[in-house]
Amino acid sequence: MEVFIAQVINGLALGSIYVLLVTGFNLLLLVAMIIHFAYPQVVVFSMYIIWLVLGLTGNNLLLGALAGIASSILLNLISAPLFQKVMEKRAEVDINTTMVLSMGIGMIITDVLSHGFNKGHPIAFPETLAGGEAILRVGLISVLPGQVFSLVVGVVAVSSFFLLLYKTRPGRAFRAIAEDPNGARLVGIPLLRTGLESYALSGLLGGIIALLLSVLLGSASPGLGEQVAHKVLAVSIIAGLGNLVGGLVVGLFLGILEAIVQGYISGTWSNVIAFVVMLVIILAKPNGLFGLKL
Amino acid sequence: MPLPLYYFLTITAVNLLMSWALYLPYRMGHLHFIVVANMAISGYTAAFMVLSLQLPFWLALLAGFLLGALVGYIVALFIGDAPTFAVVIVGFTFIYITRTVIENTSAVGGTMGLFGLPNVGGSPAAHRWTILAILYGLVFLVGFLIHRFDRSQLGRAASAVFIDKDLTASLGIDIKKMGILLQTFSCTLAGGCGVLYGFIYKSFHLDYFTFHVIGILMTVIFVGGYTTLWGTVLAAPVLYGVPLLFPPEIASWRIVIYGALLILVLVLKPEGFITTRFVHTIGSYWSRKRRQPTLPNRRKENL
Amino acid sequence: MAPNDPIGAPPSRALLTIDRISVSYGQVSALKNASVEVFRGEIVVLIGANGAGKTTLLETALGTHTPSTGSIRFKGKAIEGVPVDRNVRNGICLVPEGRGVFASMTVLDNLLLGAHHNIRNADKHLRRVYEWFPILQKRRDQIARTLSGGERQMLAIGRALMSSPELVMVDEPSIGLAPIVVNDIFNILRMLNREGYTILLSEQNANKALRCAHRGYVLETGTVTLSGTADQLLNDPGVREAYLGA
Repeated sequence: MEVFIAQVINGLALGSIYVLLVTGFNLLLLVAMIIHFAYPQVVVFSMYIIWLVLGLTGNNLLLGALAGIASSILLNLISAPLFQKVMEKRAEVDINTTMVLSMGIGMIITDVLSHGFNKGHPIAFPETLAGGEAILRVGLISVLPGQVFSLVVGVVAVSSFFLLLYKTRPGRAFRAIAEDPNGARLVGIPLLRTGLESYALSGLLGGIIALLLSVLLGSASPGLGEQVAHKVLAVSIIAGLGNLVGGLVVGLFLGILEAIVQGYISGTWSNVIAFVVMLVIILAKPNGLFGLKL
Repeated sequence: MPLPLYYFLTITAVNLLMSWALYLPYRMGHLHFIVVANMAISGYTAAFMVLSLQLPFWLALLAGFLLGALVGYIVALFIGDAPTFAVVIVGFTFIYITRTVIENTSAVGGTMGLFGLPNVGGSPAAHRWTILAILYGLVFLVGFLIHRFDRSQLGRAASAVFIDKDLTASLGIDIKKMGILLQTFSCTLAGGCGVLYGFIYKSFHLDYFTFHVIGILMTVIFVGGYTTLWGTVLAAPVLYGVPLLFPPEIASWRIVIYGALLILVLVLKPEGFITTRFVHTIGSYWSRKRRQPTLPNRRKENL
Repeated sequence: MAPNDPIGAPPSRALLTIDRISVSYGQVSALKNASVEVFRGEIVVLIGANGAGKTTLLETALGTHTPSTGSIRFKGKAIEGVPVDRNVRNGICLVPEGRGVFASMTVLDNLLLGAHHNIRNADKHLRRVYEWFPILQKRRDQIARTLSGGERQMLAIGRALMSSPELVMVDEPSIGLAPIVVNDIFNILRMLNREGYTILLSEQNANKALRCAHRGYVLETGTVTLSGTADQLLNDPGVREAYLGA
């Protein structure tokens, strides 16, 4: 029973990270109107930056976190004009082109990480990050302070984001554009500037995710971006593209599923099981469980 | 023949064939990345058949094609008319699952891979010539088929689906059937390529079937041009060959260069270098040169 | 019953001057040398069939399209090429055809979106809109999709008013609404005009529109073919035959 509880906590922590990733991805989809396959790679790149800064400053967590957030926002803002340019070229916006463009970006990021950082070996975050002593220990399973931290920050971040979306002026503008870009334009909402704001906001989310992942996983590798990307993309398909609440539900579900399977079976197979489950769902319902928004 | 030339010719052929495997479904808008998984599945199965079951190469090659067709067809039943995004994710997921299964299956070598595949035709030289012959035979066959497809009613319908799926469906065109056809063909081709790819090196390793392959194929298709098959014909040898000329330090950054090229092309020339208009211009220039100078009744090409 | 002369001192120049603009979508010409003037305190109506260019004209005035020839002046300043959000901030707004409310958002959120550029004074404007449209206050937490056609039109107008515009442009307010509701809407427009808003609207329902307007223009395939006071147009035989027929 305790194993179960411990893994549920882990699962919620992991799940809230997935939710944040799907939300950042959906934000770009709905407001900037792009499909950003490489969004998780941007996050992993920020993890590397955090690692770098931690190494340079003697494990100064605050500086590391700020650096990670800054690099994520910066990468997003730099790629924004590329996406905009690609969208202008078509008579009707062909969202598939943004997909391919983001794959190109992902290729570059992953390869840069393989070449330029730590000679391509996986990086490890200092153990103090996750907290030394376990809060809860059951057999081989333990819940470290870092995981609880991850869960708490994750929940706070997700709630803040939804609060922003539903209760503030910029959030209203995002939702208006998400529902009807033309209608939003007629009301006088500046599409371009609001689009850029969404790049920055998902960059901010990305930086937070990078911090949480560093704490939760304790390590990173160039291949991590792709792995996480595939899961997040599968989640967003299952939840329905652009469906924020659906993303919340499915993201948490995936996190808990993975953690529970991990508690009872070895690591790689938990991944495979997660993917197989998602594959079956996608094959059965290619338009998403809750219907397509696009 | 010198070994580097052999590798260049064979790998280029595989790149070209695999680009075509991606090109065909993309005519209707599907990025059918599952083909990389097909390569791995068919390739490893063929290797297993030859090494452990002592079956002849030709049987294994045939099995590779058939296995590709089977997987492609079954999956296409579900995603023949799915949105591109779903097709992409299915592809990625398949690749990941396939790789993990192979990694953990010692019967096919796990992370070590399979080595020591026998020479086809007895001697190393015969092996190389046989593989080259099969590959380029396939290049001409598939190239011909795709060329005919592009000019056919079906090819036009595929282009229409690419531009506006709903409108095309309302014209009575069966999108799912088209999707099943194109996807199955592309997976069949990919299966055979996977077998041949391993036999080029006489070994199979997971490193041959990574997500990088997707990156390379995408670059070939988009830089070359995805509206006509001549784009890939030009881009495959060039994109593979040119980095080989560079010193190793630069060549190891190939993927970054490919990614940058891909982005550049999308921003500057989204249809790629070789477009249908370009091909028509070349074609009409060519046919004009071969005819008389004065031709008052030359049929106007409708571009 | 056509209203009397414009309220307030007659201005020396028009609030909105559209001078011989041409707009095309690719090869298709939507407006050709169209000219329209709207003075402060007026209700001006554009009449024309489907595709005559009414929506294009309103959208060009708003800033969605840039005319290839001609000029547009608002409050004396040229505004061709000025982006929509800047024009909205300066006092032009458009109530689009088909209501254009955000169906999945609440009435309140829709109204607040109207005040996007002036959120500090939103409360003041909100109170005024609720005074004019008490039903909106009643339904303020309801999702816009659940509103009736007439209520949605009110919401769209209310939202436009939240930006405290000087010129309110309305595109086909009567479309899809029952006749009784259409009367309500036109009464609302008249009321707003009395409160000081200048209104430029486009309508296929020429009869009702001309009866509440001061002046009108007739648009046919992108050009203005006739203009005059509402009375003149109501009594013009050509207009009667084409647009006021039984």
